[in-house]
Amino acid sequence: MTTPLHPTATASSAMPWGSLLDGRKVHRWTLRNAQDMRVDISDLGGSLLSWYAPDRQGRLADVVLGHADPESYAQAKGYMGAQIGRWANRIRHGSFELDGVGYKLDRNQNGNLLHGGSEGFHQALWQVEPDGDGLLLILHSPDGEGGFPGNLDVQVRMALADDGSLSMDYQARCDQASPVNLTAHPYFNLGGGRGDIRDHLLWLDAENFLAVDAGLIPTAQESVAGSAFDFRRAAPLGSRLNWPHPQLSVAGGFDHCYCLGDSPGQPRKVAQVCDPASGRRLSVITDQPGLQLYTGQHLADSPNRDGGHYRPFDGLCLEAQAFPNQINSASAEQVVLRPGAVYRQHTRYQLDTY
Amino acid sequence: MESTHSPHRIALLFNANKGFDREVIAGIGQYLNSTRVEWDLFLEEDFRSRVQGIERWRGDGIIADFDDPQVAQALAASKLPVVAVGGSYRDASLYPAHIPYIATDNAKVVQLGYRHLIDQGLPRFAYYGLPPAPGNAWAAERETTFIELLQTDGMEVTVYRGLPTSAGGWDNSVEQLIEWLQGLPKPVGILCVTDARARQLVQACLLARIAVPEQVAVVGIDNDPMAQLLTRVPLTSVMQGTEEMGRTAAHLLHQMLRGADHSATRVVVPPAGINVQASSRHQPLRSPLVMRARHYIRQYGCLGIKTEQVADYVGVSRTALEEHFRRELKQTVHQALLQHKLETARELLAHSALPLADIAVRCGFTSLQYMYAVFRREFDITPKQFQAQHRSAASGNPP
Repeated sequence: MTTPLHPTATASSAMPWGSLLDGRKVHRWTLRNAQDMRVDISDLGGSLLSWYAPDRQGRLADVVLGHADPESYAQAKGYMGAQIGRWANRIRHGSFELDGVGYKLDRNQNGNLLHGGSEGFHQALWQVEPDGDGLLLILHSPDGEGGFPGNLDVQVRMALADDGSLSMDYQARCDQASPVNLTAHPYFNLGGGRGDIRDHLLWLDAENFLAVDAGLIPTAQESVAGSAFDFRRAAPLGSRLNWPHPQLSVAGGFDHCYCLGDSPGQPRKVAQVCDPASGRRLSVITDQPGLQLYTGQHLADSPNRDGGHYRPFDGLCLEAQAFPNQINSASAEQVVLRPGAVYRQHTRYQLDTY
Repeated sequence: MESTHSPHRIALLFNANKGFDREVIAGIGQYLNSTRVEWDLFLEEDFRSRVQGIERWRGDGIIADFDDPQVAQALAASKLPVVAVGGSYRDASLYPAHIPYIATDNAKVVQLGYRHLIDQGLPRFAYYGLPPAPGNAWAAERETTFIELLQTDGMEVTVYRGLPTSAGGWDNSVEQLIEWLQGLPKPVGILCVTDARARQLVQACLLARIAVPEQVAVVGIDNDPMAQLLTRVPLTSVMQGTEEMGRTAAHLLHQMLRGADHSATRVVVPPAGINVQASSRHQPLRSPLVMRARHYIRQYGCLGIKTEQVADYVGVSRTALEEHFRRELKQTVHQALLQHKLETARELLAHSALPLADIAVRCGFTSLQYMYAVFRREFDITPKQFQAQHRSAASGNPP
């Protein structure tokens, strides 16, 4: 056993990280733990910039994808590592009705709203404050931003624990009724970039997923049983991407929300990803009802940290959230935050080796 | 829907004596259980007799191991829906035409084993394969991949195929194997084409008093429980994606029975993991004394030996041995012995069904209480708790 550099989890103070084209200065903070893990977080989009974690041999490598500099984060379209809001995932036609009032949102993807629209939380400069062993990320989203009603105040507490888990505790309040659905969008590659995610094995505790139309809006709940979508026993993504399934053709891979059973509200382990080569293992624990699996099939134009571009399937996302387009469904009320109420979410990613 | 018809009659043409085939069959079973699809499965004890009469068999579909050329030939013109299972080929023209094929990714299997040996800090590598024979085209695929990987990395390539497993007699083949091993510059990491070959290699090393893994680190392929059981030094082994292959084959056949055309479908399944054990846990050591001592501890550490006996084996005084251990490993001989016992205990707790008291005895602890005390002190957890954690983790999937 080597002696850890940092006996317990700590958070650094702000470090300058450059500036955007409009002159705004951006910063980064570093969280560390007793395993010598290191997580870098920026105020730009509240983004998880890097996560250095040990492999089976104890060697550290960055297990999340990222861009080289702040401007790339501002320009790129992959939502890399970002905090997502006010509505994660899609809303059909960028419109919904609430309490008898119709709302028109930014339609930034195929005529639908995606990830809060082009002015979403991923583009915002968050206020970041060290908070004990973690960081508090704070954002005010004004009434009408992206077309959403009400002034929304959001905070996310991020902390890296000695057991290798990076927790995100969300809280939000709004002065008008508004749909709220928050998530985080890191792309994981547990090999630290050595090989792609098709060699990773995924276990996902869900019996149903949401089938989608060509615009990736859910159309029906389908059973995973016996299909490419069945990860109730761990399976390599590489083989599942080659199983014949019309839904895989629609999305060019996996870009689907899984329905996580009937105990939402309770944090439970819902997914695990293993990388045989490095021995790294990622667990996802959340109290959310849905988990979006995205296998990174559209990464081809996304700049990497070295001046080149990522390739499809270089990273995978597991985004804990409410259901896509839920605000236009029978269970819409569950995703409406009303004045006086508090939106809460607990999600954590845990990394270890096996 | 399916239950309104009588169940489909499906033949599984596999050699159930092979671990690989058994695991593929297990995957087929998993698929059927997960879907409640009902098939009447036909699985012969002597699968070759089934192959010979297969064109007269009145059934609905076949899943078969195409690594066997006789099977591949017999099914080439089958009128029934057939799904083939077998090894991957670098040359795509070697796949059977017009038959869906589920392949174990031989290239990635070899890559995983090779990278693991690199990760252990080994400076050179060799490959122990098989002489070409009908039915082992996969062995040649693996060998070629290994050679290409080493050439890409600018390393010298050493390949030994040995004698066919049955010919020439055991003594003769071990003698030749030892001769090859003795001629290799060391330390060296050797990837073996199967666990059966790896087991033979470890045995030859022990006979020739070559320390595993200090001088020769060994990785096998298959993660075969039988080979594990029969190897004195626990074997590191690459696990193929066999169960997923079975699930995939069953899924394709299931769809074909409903009319889907998968004649051009090929699914290459990556390995499921690598089971890292002592045979490859190479740590570069400088002192040959320490190397010999650890070799002895690995073989007899669980028989209740003490520092004195280790020193006797190495042929130096206790004080001298302690000095070497302190300098090289920053621990005492006693600590190294204890560490070995605890590692063995952890292994048995996680992967065997033995009662705790038996595990204590097997690992050379004087009593169950003593194992509890040491275990708690070192890992801050009781053996029982550790066992419970691993049982739930090992039952295929997380809790």
